Amino acid sequence: MLSKKTTLAAIAGTVLSMLASAPAALAAGSDGHGHGHGGATGEPGKPGDVTTTINVTMYDNYYEPEEITVKEGETVRFVITNAGRFVHEFNIATPDMHEAHGPEMMMMMEHGVLMPDRIDWAAAEAMQQSMGHGMHEEPNSLLLEPGQSGELIWRFPDHAELEFACNIPGHYDSGMVGNVMLTH
Amino acid sequence: MLSRNLCGAGALALVLAAAGHAAPATAGEYSLTVDPITVRTSDFSRKGVGFNSGSPGPVLRFKEGEDVTIHVTNNLSEPTSIHWHGLILPYDQDGVPGVSYDGIAPGETFTYTFPIVQAGTYWYHSHSDFQEPDGAYGAIVIEPEGREPFRYDRDYVVVLADAHPHRGHRIMRNLKMMPDYYNRQQQTLFDFFRDAGDMGFDAAVADRLDWGDMRMMKTDIEDLQGFTPLINGMDPEQNWTGLFEPGERIRLRFVNASAMSYFDIRIPGLEMTVVQADGNNVQPVKVDEFRIAVAETYDVIVRPREDRAFTIFAESLGRTAFARGTLAPREGMTAEVPELREPPLLTMADMSLAPGMAGMDHGGMDHGSMDHGSMGGVTHTMADGTVMQGMDHGSMDGGAMDHSMHAMGAPAQADPFYAPGSGLMPAAANGGKFLSYADLKAQAPLYEDRDATREIELRLTGNMERYIWSINGVKHADSEPIRLTYGERVRFKFVNETMMTHPMHLHGMWSIIDNGNGEWDPIKHVVSVAPGTTVYMETEVDAPGQWIMHCHLSYHMDAGMMRKVIVEGGPRAAGVTSPVSGG
Repeated sequence: MLSKKTTLAAIAGTVLSMLASAPAALAAGSDGHGHGHGGATGEPGKPGDVTTTINVTMYDNYYEPEEITVKEGETVRFVITNAGRFVHEFNIATPDMHEAHGPEMMMMMEHGVLMPDRIDWAAAEAMQQSMGHGMHEEPNSLLLEPGQSGELIWRFPDHAELEFACNIPGHYDSGMVGNVMLTH
Repeated sequence: MLSRNLCGAGALALVLAAAGHAAPATAGEYSLTVDPITVRTSDFSRKGVGFNSGSPGPVLRFKEGEDVTIHVTNNLSEPTSIHWHGLILPYDQDGVPGVSYDGIAPGETFTYTFPIVQAGTYWYHSHSDFQEPDGAYGAIVIEPEGREPFRYDRDYVVVLADAHPHRGHRIMRNLKMMPDYYNRQQQTLFDFFRDAGDMGFDAAVADRLDWGDMRMMKTDIEDLQGFTPLINGMDPEQNWTGLFEPGERIRLRFVNASAMSYFDIRIPGLEMTVVQADGNNVQPVKVDEFRIAVAETYDVIVRPREDRAFTIFAESLGRTAFARGTLAPREGMTAEVPELREPPLLTMADMSLAPGMAGMDHGGMDHGSMDHGSMGGVTHTMADGTVMQGMDHGSMDGGAMDHSMHAMGAPAQADPFYAPGSGLMPAAANGGKFLSYADLKAQAPLYEDRDATREIELRLTGNMERYIWSINGVKHADSEPIRLTYGERVRFKFVNETMMTHPMHLHGMWSIIDNGNGEWDPIKHVVSVAPGTTVYMETEVDAPGQWIMHCHLSYHMDAGMMRKVIVEGGPRAAGVTSPVSGG
């Protein structure tokens, strides 16, 4: 059950990322353990399978709560609110995947797509035109401007070392990251 | 009056431990003594000045929102004072003798009381004579009221200093007598013949004559050499060590309490995330190396994951010495200590931008058409006020290679806060990211962004030959105060016409550097201005009373690079001219 009605803005589910790396992230999530229980990171969940809703609020630059506990194989609806002044991300992945995602975010910042407090869509368009890299959706993350809310439904695997993290340059490294504890 | 009520006589006479770097104190009331001490390093021992019988003094730990009372007892045979560097407080608590108050006479106790209205890493030091270079400095750590915008498992104060075997008085006397007294990197006759071989005899002679005309040398990066850099009072051999568990986030609170020395700081094997500059939170930026000006503070977070030691390596700007400390999982572990890099040489490019020295011939230079328009608040300005649109350095490169550009063969990213082609452009030893002022963005701006109400130009000027340092060509003793009006927003234009880098420090009010980030321009208390550059900073004039602004290089300040600043109007204007009771 939803504790809070949220509107998913058209852009809220969009993730800034280079196309090249996205399949890697998804691949990591779908191999290994085969289908059924998801892979190393889990997989997008179906609304009908949701058994728990977890609210996470993003501030500058930290989450509340800073750790979440879910059951193995559980499908969770995340309701994410950006209550800060800066753009933040909620991204479920392994530490290595977060590390790989960081440079892409840095490129977005260097191209003026990612401003501290907003996303410059014109710059994103220009970057897409000139470099072929642009915005696309990734099911394991939400990128929210200040004041925005969004939802993400995720089915967790049985075993994984997972973190939810913000890969805006500097945010992960200064501590905007939390552990996902998987329990029986 | 103190709003905070302290119980028990114990708290009243609380004396902070002099030894060690972390002496947690009960909030509210503190006692410090200013004492004659002996500064001991592996290289020398000499008499000096300390707090609570030590140098550095104890770390003062305050909490945002509290009112502090600090009793300072002078055990010296000369007057003393303590200035709370970077703290926003009533002017009569600022601790500058002759401006804030009369100072503290020998044997007297002065009691400071002021509210703590900020958080972060700061420091305190004597503002009397040369007591600070002699050892009278310490760190201040202020815990914020709310949550910090970052996370860490433990924190360490890392106070850098440039302890010299000579006491400040003697150093100043020597510099006045012979400005290159402490310059050990002077070019030799051997260098001359090498240059003559490289560029021909006539060119080598002309080069020497040019430099002679300017009353300076290519090696004038540091006018004080021969010091022993310290971290928390310990030299490289004594190796200050901070412990950690692998995987922990460690906050390092770097304070440069040096009299004269800038440092380039790195921790080989670890990236540093800069989260605070001069006590104010900045939007986190990951770097491999950063330069800390005299009197600045930077807080960084590192996360060593391996079970091994890491070296904190801080090279002086002139590469004449380094401070060294260690982060380690266990006491006694060490990591490799890097070699000092090649010293930079000032290039003629630097000097051409500083024609305020003796008559220099610009005829040989091509003022071309480089576009500096995108550099935020930094431009390169000639002494006559014309803005340099760039120049061709090709004809000047003769013997003066830009060594920083050649470090490890790494292409240096141009930092707009250094003159193009200057020998001072920083470059990370590992070829990675070197922090620039341009990277600093306020995490939470303190003031609404608005246009300045007026501009004040301050040319940083000097005569190295006579060791006179001044502002607009006038030294402090001969100058009129800068008068500001409460409520205005002043834009200061610093034009550095000298060959030295000057860390400019305004007391009592924040310095907002115009680094092109608009509403996110960072809030600092020290603005470092490199040779041949112009840097703008803005100040919201919100602190009535009388203050000072000065170069924080101890001997430059003493030589005259300082101004009194009077803020007229505002809530406490009436008190400005009345004498302040001390002791």
